[in-house]
Amino acid sequence: MTTTFETLSVGDNIDGPKFSVSRESIRLFCDASLDYNPLHLDDNYMKGDFGKTNFGGIIMHGMNNFGLITRMLTDWSYPAGAIHRRLETRWVKPVKPGDTIQPVGIIKAKQVTKNSRFVLIDVLVKNQNDEKVAVGEAMVEFPVAAAAAA
Amino acid sequence: MAQAQAFETDFWKDENLRKVWDEIVPGQPRKTIPYLLTKEAIALLCKAVGETNPLYLDEAYAKTTPWGGIIAPPSIHILLMFSCTEADDWMRSPGTVNAGQSWSYNKPARPGDTITLQARALDKFIKRERLFVVHDNVFFNQHGDVICSGRGQTIRPM
Repeated sequence: MTTTFETLSVGDNIDGPKFSVSRESIRLFCDASLDYNPLHLDDNYMKGDFGKTNFGGIIMHGMNNFGLITRMLTDWSYPAGAIHRRLETRWVKPVKPGDTIQPVGIIKAKQVTKNSRFVLIDVLVKNQNDEKVAVGEAMVEFPVAAAAAA
Repeated sequence: MAQAQAFETDFWKDENLRKVWDEIVPGQPRKTIPYLLTKEAIALLCKAVGETNPLYLDEAYAKTTPWGGIIAPPSIHILLMFSCTEADDWMRSPGTVNAGQSWSYNKPARPGDTITLQARALDKFIKRERLFVVHDNVFFNQHGDVICSGRGQTIRPM
């Protein structure tokens, strides 16, 4: 079924892709993002404390969550002729090698503006234990004219 | 992986050159450098998140879409943040923890674009014994169009 602004309802779900996190996937993300922070590379360093927090080993880049949420949103938007306009995120829980994570979205509101139409989406990423690891909000534009590739 | 070879991946190496929380001045522009975005860099970021949309990867397909050619996924700023800053930039300080951000997207980045960044710390504060900095970042293409703009917070290493 093609998603359209008219047929969307508050509470509708978007299911994102499942993603298996491994030392290799984290290392690949270092190379792709150029973020070689030892948080993601160095187990010895991660044995130490960070203020009151101890992670006990390397953790996935928070921005890997961001990239996965983006993937979910663009996979959902493009076929509908819609454009991903905004994403706000916050990390709730560290993600570690061996975890499987999945972003999901829930339609929160629809807004018509002077020139266009927007959908607000609550987003979250959950792990294999159904714990939230990231939360946020997205905004997708459904242009009135279909050919709106700016 | 030519890109990663030219890039200093040991974030400890230039640590003594980087500003700590005390030295970061809100409002002061950060040093930035232009970056030529390539198809290969886009493909690598896609691979890292399992992204297979041909709009990002296949020029023949992308030409048939309203976008008229390959574009980068909106999340390309993940890479641009480190591509457009130098080794002594405090985003690279080991132990920097990302505490959340918001990004707004205007025009897509495309392979062949020369991307520039205007960036600064906008604010800094202390909360529950942690040292925070608020970041303000805007990426532009070579035509002066805004690609995306973002605001973020990091917790600085003590």
